[in-house]
Amino acid sequence: MDATPSLIHTFFNPDILAKTAPIVLASAGQTVLLGFLIIVCGIGLGILLASLRYYTRRRTVTALIVGYVDVLRALPPLVLLIVVYFALPYVNVSIDATLATFLCLSAILSAFIEECVWSGIAALAQGQMEAARSTGMTWSAAMRHVVLPQALKIALPQITNRCIATIKNTALGSVIGFNEVLGSAQAASSDFANPTPLTLSALVYIAMILPFVLFSRYLEHRTGSH
Amino acid sequence: MQKRIILEAVGIRKDYGALQVLKGVDFRVREGELVSIIGPSGSGKSSMLRCCNLLERPTAGQIVFDGIDITREGVNINHVRQNIGMVFQQFNLYPHLTVLGNVTLALRCVKKLSRAEASEIGMAALAQVDMAGKRDAYPNQLSGGQKQRVGIARAVALHPQIILFDEPTSALDPELVSSVLGVMRKLREAGMTMLVVTHEMGFAKEVSDRVIFMDGGVVAANDTPERIFAAQDNERMQSFLSRFLNEK
Repeated sequence: MDATPSLIHTFFNPDILAKTAPIVLASAGQTVLLGFLIIVCGIGLGILLASLRYYTRRRTVTALIVGYVDVLRALPPLVLLIVVYFALPYVNVSIDATLATFLCLSAILSAFIEECVWSGIAALAQGQMEAARSTGMTWSAAMRHVVLPQALKIALPQITNRCIATIKNTALGSVIGFNEVLGSAQAASSDFANPTPLTLSALVYIAMILPFVLFSRYLEHRTGSH
Repeated sequence: MQKRIILEAVGIRKDYGALQVLKGVDFRVREGELVSIIGPSGSGKSSMLRCCNLLERPTAGQIVFDGIDITREGVNINHVRQNIGMVFQQFNLYPHLTVLGNVTLALRCVKKLSRAEASEIGMAALAQVDMAGKRDAYPNQLSGGQKQRVGIARAVALHPQIILFDEPTSALDPELVSSVLGVMRKLREAGMTMLVVTHEMGFAKEVSDRVIFMDGGVVAANDTPERIFAAQDNERMQSFLSRFLNEK
């Protein structure tokens, strides 16, 4: 049986790897950068929205936030991407594929993160905020030093999951022409009639996501001891 | 000469929708006094205490702290609260911070002290409640009595002019109550002004300068502990006290 050599020849062909790696890795760079920006913005906006929802006593503000979150969580990301990219030009807003991917995925991630962080805040006893305020801390100082550190700790596993899903969703950008790693790997494997570029893209995904998961585990472990 | 008034409640009313919890409460706390508030559940004791640092906004009436009406518009409540400590029934320690971190958080991010200065003041406060040895422990490693002593140290560390205690021993196992009451006695001897909502009748009787008996959202009696606990003329108080004293 010499299945092994032919398996390697098919899925990890050195010649094809040498030819396609520059294309795949170039788009991998773009994907990593975009994924990073989406995660930073999505988490930042999500925390901000959850904090605003906790702070506000106006029902209209709460309704707006909850509406934003529920609609964006329900929409398939692909549909949102296509609508933003192909519909906006009709109202004379032109948008390039990278920006459209960034905006759509950031908005969707922020909706999920808002819900994670909100559930973390809701799980805390009201007494935490009161204790902090009773010592003269402002609302925002109490949020920063007392409420959010605990809420984020509770929400961390969920946040990690959403971020991984978001990194993978960057692949949807290829539909509107964003040059991301999975799309370019697929194109390359069609060109050479060989799946080796896809194997490479899988390695790229692992390289992107694994450090992220490890960092999150480290955070959980560090804050989990008490 | 009478000591100066630190805290004064004037005609405090508090409604939650149609429910009137406080129906016009007046009292004064003078410098160095320990005033206990007793009364049956639902009499408005805790609501009254929480109005004193505006954790609850009174529907009507004034809280005058150190000569200033803090219920007025435009008063910086965060500044006022640095001078009004509070100790909670459920301790409300910050579980993600060490004992010393709990005590020094406000020193560092409200009073803007350096880490070293805050630690020094924090350790002094912990020493006052016999908890200096636990500085690096986390709250979930402490017993209830130890948690509450840290809660007291957190209030003491800001050097407030008065400390409000909201049923500080009600969440404790009976054998842990005495250590917390002991700390409160020590604080009183050190001259701290204290307003204490409590169900510990023995403590209220022995340690208070004055006892306020609340019932149905009003002050039903406000007198020295001797007179309160000897009173024969107030039927409601009699029935309340007899229930408590019989339990002991």
